[in-house]
Amino acid sequence: MSATTFAWLALAMPLAGTLVLALGYRSLPGRSAGWIGTGTIVLAFVAALGALLELQDRAPAHRALTSSLWSYAVTAGIDARVSILVDPLSVFMLLVVSGVSALIHLYSVSYMDSDRGYARYFSYLNFFVFSMLLLVLAGNFLLLIVGWAFVGAASYLLISFWYRRSTATRAGIKAFVINVVGDVGLVLGTYFIFKHTHTLDLRGSFHAASAGAFVGGSGNGDLIAGCVLLLVGAFAKSAQIPLHTWLPDAMEGPTPVSALIHAATMVTAGVYLIARMHPLFERAPAAQDVGAVIGAATLLVAGTVGLAQVDIKRVIAYSTMSQIGYMIMGVSVGAYAAGLFHLMTHAFFKALLFMAAGSLIGAMAGEQSLQRMGGFRKALPFTYASFLIGGLALAGVPPFSGFFSKDEILLVTGERGGWHWALYVVGYLGALLTAVYTFRMVFRAFHGAPVAEARELERGHPHHAEVPRNPATGEPEDTDVGFPGPHHAIAERALPMRAAMALLAVGSIGAGALQIPHVDFVIDDFLRPSFGDSSLYATHGRDWLLVLGLSLGTALGLAGIAIAYRVWVMRPGSAARVRARARPLYELFVHAWYFDELIAALIARPAVAAGRFARDTFERRVVDDALIGGTTTLIRAGSAAVRAAQSGFVRYYAALLVLGVTGVGFYFLLQS
Amino acid sequence: MPPLSILIWLPAITGLLAASLSWRPWRAHIPPASPPPDWWGQVSPAARARSVRDPGQRLSGRLALAGSLATLALAIGYITEYKGPRAGLQHVTDVTWIGELGIHYKLAISGLNVFLVGMTALLFAAATLAANLRSWERPRLFYFQFMLAESAVLGAFLAQDLALFVAFFDLMLVPFYFLIGGWGREPGRVRATLKLVIYTLVGSLLMLAAAIATGVLAARHTGGHITFVLSSLQATPLGRGSQEWIFLFFAAAFLVKMPAFPLHGWMPDGYRAMPIEVLMVFSGVLAKVGAYGFLAIVLPLYPQAAVHFQTLMLLLALASILYGSAVAFTQTDARLIAGYSSVAQLGFITLGIFSLNAQGAQGALLQMLNHGLVVAPLLFIVALLAQRSGGSEDVREMGGIAFRAPVLAALFLLVALATLAMPGSANFVGEFLILLGVFNAKLAIAAVAFAGVVMASFYALRLLIGAMHNRVGPGVRSREISLLDGAVLVPILAVVGLLSLYPQLALHRSEGSVKQAITPLRAPLSPPGPYAARGGCPPYAAQPGSGLRCRALVLGRRR
Repeated sequence: MSATTFAWLALAMPLAGTLVLALGYRSLPGRSAGWIGTGTIVLAFVAALGALLELQDRAPAHRALTSSLWSYAVTAGIDARVSILVDPLSVFMLLVVSGVSALIHLYSVSYMDSDRGYARYFSYLNFFVFSMLLLVLAGNFLLLIVGWAFVGAASYLLISFWYRRSTATRAGIKAFVINVVGDVGLVLGTYFIFKHTHTLDLRGSFHAASAGAFVGGSGNGDLIAGCVLLLVGAFAKSAQIPLHTWLPDAMEGPTPVSALIHAATMVTAGVYLIARMHPLFERAPAAQDVGAVIGAATLLVAGTVGLAQVDIKRVIAYSTMSQIGYMIMGVSVGAYAAGLFHLMTHAFFKALLFMAAGSLIGAMAGEQSLQRMGGFRKALPFTYASFLIGGLALAGVPPFSGFFSKDEILLVTGERGGWHWALYVVGYLGALLTAVYTFRMVFRAFHGAPVAEARELERGHPHHAEVPRNPATGEPEDTDVGFPGPHHAIAERALPMRAAMALLAVGSIGAGALQIPHVDFVIDDFLRPSFGDSSLYATHGRDWLLVLGLSLGTALGLAGIAIAYRVWVMRPGSAARVRARARPLYELFVHAWYFDELIAALIARPAVAAGRFARDTFERRVVDDALIGGTTTLIRAGSAAVRAAQSGFVRYYAALLVLGVTGVGFYFLLQS
Repeated sequence: MPPLSILIWLPAITGLLAASLSWRPWRAHIPPASPPPDWWGQVSPAARARSVRDPGQRLSGRLALAGSLATLALAIGYITEYKGPRAGLQHVTDVTWIGELGIHYKLAISGLNVFLVGMTALLFAAATLAANLRSWERPRLFYFQFMLAESAVLGAFLAQDLALFVAFFDLMLVPFYFLIGGWGREPGRVRATLKLVIYTLVGSLLMLAAAIATGVLAARHTGGHITFVLSSLQATPLGRGSQEWIFLFFAAAFLVKMPAFPLHGWMPDGYRAMPIEVLMVFSGVLAKVGAYGFLAIVLPLYPQAAVHFQTLMLLLALASILYGSAVAFTQTDARLIAGYSSVAQLGFITLGIFSLNAQGAQGALLQMLNHGLVVAPLLFIVALLAQRSGGSEDVREMGGIAFRAPVLAALFLLVALATLAMPGSANFVGEFLILLGVFNAKLAIAAVAFAGVVMASFYALRLLIGAMHNRVGPGVRSREISLLDGAVLVPILAVVGLLSLYPQLALHRSEGSVKQAITPLRAPLSPPGPYAARGGCPPYAAQPGSGLRCRALVLGRRR
């Protein structure tokens, strides 16, 4: 079988899973829905491996294959077919997405066990994987947009999975609408590019771009506008400023969903998009600069907000934003391999962190506030170890995977020189923040005096809430519905969860070995054929910068952990003192820099006000009174016959119609 | 395939049959089977059982259903037989109707109407089935009006003669006046009928005047016989001055029908008053006749005026999009959310048509189809929701219906996603083409129109969530969708799914005809028409005091 056949198979598996689970939701016994869902994703992963092996058999220059099934919209100058593009970049994404997804499905088998929406959950989750694979395999802009929007829809469905919670439905609609803003950016950007390339095919567009379709080179306004609009799409999907506000709210979804969609895969779609579109972006350096600056700003802002949040899932969500900021910055400055490498390692350790957090939340019977947690180190040894491994990788401590991937992004950024040094500094500042907020979580949740729940668990009794409450608002849950399920799962007591976490822990520790400076360049070499036309790809050079970067990374990571240890373990009261001393700064961080309020004031409220005005005032005064009333008055004044017709008898109107028709007809007949 | 006349008149004939066969004058003293329900929820099972026992009620409904299904079968036959992207008319019926006036009874299938005919037949069949699920006061008359409406709509789509088109267009409105006036919901039934009559009457009269003027003026230019056949009229374009005012008359009639801002004043009352089965076809099909009229009649016959008024029409369409979306997302009446979203959607269609290029027009045609196929299920779902929330159609009184009705929730989700033109649906392909066309014509307008896309996602999801999710509303009694209700929805949604997977099906067949429809727009401003020999100026324009200036000549010189 060829690589494209394998890729089609990888696409077909989760789709088949979705349909089977959706249609058979009532008749599937026990946990079979979970195992079917997991099985299809494992098969998709196997197909992805097949595609990888097939692709590696070919000469590097011939590792880009396309295949199409049928004409989707081939008319009036556009040429969209249902086609996929299989090259090292898409196979890389295919492997990461299907691999991590398979593990998260496995974790969910236990985690969602007592939930009444079990089959629905796995059907949505399989649909998400299908959409994500469609996104990374799409061979033309239109199909890319379809996959892009499908992942948004899957994300919406899963955020508001517990749809009895008004917080969940509100978060879902917010995520969807902001993602539609991104879709609009993507569509409009596509128009600008299509205007010059005259094709929607990805490779065709890139060929046209290198053949000089964009007259004027890097100053071509349409190309810059197109790339910036593509960036709008990337920002919305990848939660970059100012389109990020949906991501923290998206934590309303079940924790495995946060791990899969809002940490490991979907939110990294923007990174993939920029890497995929590099032939266009490299011709529009202005757009690249926009991406790099926004990425850097996001990594810093999200890092500071992560310091002040108390909901453990929100802290990890802001951390995700911040890490994607690194990736976006990386692929925008040309560090494609490094950005994608970080995408992969981040998928491992962030999914692991979320899984461990899920187990912790299970032990707290749904409670998510760090303020109520503490001392779980002994009660949850496996969870603690996993969280620690994930945390060390996130903080960039050698030899964990995050250390290598993040430092490589910053290395390439530094190599670019000039004003990129500012990005370099911001990147390392962010690294310090990352270590601090990560270990703030570790120390607050697992160290210190054990809380009641932890003590109970140590004696072998998992805690159960008497009245299940919505962690966001504290209002009692609708228990008759059966979701969220009445029982909470913890990793220590569920083998599938432990298996998934153990595999991810191995990845979080060891994945860095794929690409160690001066030792091996697996990722670099593998992806090189996809970036053959790039002028920025893998410019390794100055050793002093490499040494500086690695030592800075190590030092800042360890320093961050030391600060966290000092503040939250050695002197437990000092956090409050710092808060009191820097009140305005704390307020800024805890309100996430007031982005929500800003968007509400500038966009949401004016739009609603306009709608209200139109509904209540304009409709009545202008449309009804002036237009209808005016017309009626005119007719009343003009004709006695019509005045009689106001009685409401329809037959008069019919008569009037006939009369009018005849009259006008006669007029023109007499004229001729 | 049988001639098109059979397709057109089959519904009306079965309607007539239904009315006469089930007429039992000897049972006339028996009171109506059940009190007229104000809305869906208020037909009690007992009343329904009674109505089933009433043979008049049952027979007329079943006959009408059979007729609409037969029509659907014929329409599907025409679609499968329609040949490729080749432009030109197929299955032509051409008979002289009123010889003295040059009016022909000319019907034909083209790429523009082949799928619209199919959609009309499908929606009428679904709506007739839905109507069969409840009992009606005066059922014979109801079904007769209903089927007559189908005939008239099919006639309007298939007519290839301007006068015939106008005749069908007006005929189509008459049964709807009666359907609203006779079977509409209180309160506001009379007011709604009145508004609808006034609006559409004004529109119809303007259109009639414009149509007659077109025939007469064209005949005067050629000096030959008067004719209303579209192809002949297209061969003899009018002078630019006449084109402009005739264009405005037609535009007024079609914009009222769609409805477009600010001529939508009849819509809120009309939507509230109409029985949902009537509204399904009214919103799904009748609105498209207006859009179809622009594409099939106005652009080919009055190309210069279309170019002249392009910006005006685009701005009107843009206003419809923004205004419709803005009101839709503050409305709480589920029907009116659908209604105002239609204003916005029809705005997109107008936008596509008046981008005056192939992409926009193709997108608009596809979107006409999509909108009809989506809005009818949406309205039907609104009725199903009202059944479950104690008869209220207010979103604030719904909520939590999804839990006991997962299938209904899933169907509603699909409809909502298609309504907001989710990529992956055919609606998105339509919108993509429309906005691409506008992008190529007027970039700024396309950029602003995208705001409508974002707003659509908000109001569609707001409706979905408000009805299905959150806590259970006060009067809500949720239950799963019944098999027969499903039989109304599922066939339409199957077609939506098919078109979403393979929009090329429709795009491919319409391509040739769409190109042909917009070809005149590419012609130079003063085309070498029949009076080119007179310097591009019709004879009367040279005479002093004729009242009409020779704009074509003036403009031709200026350029």
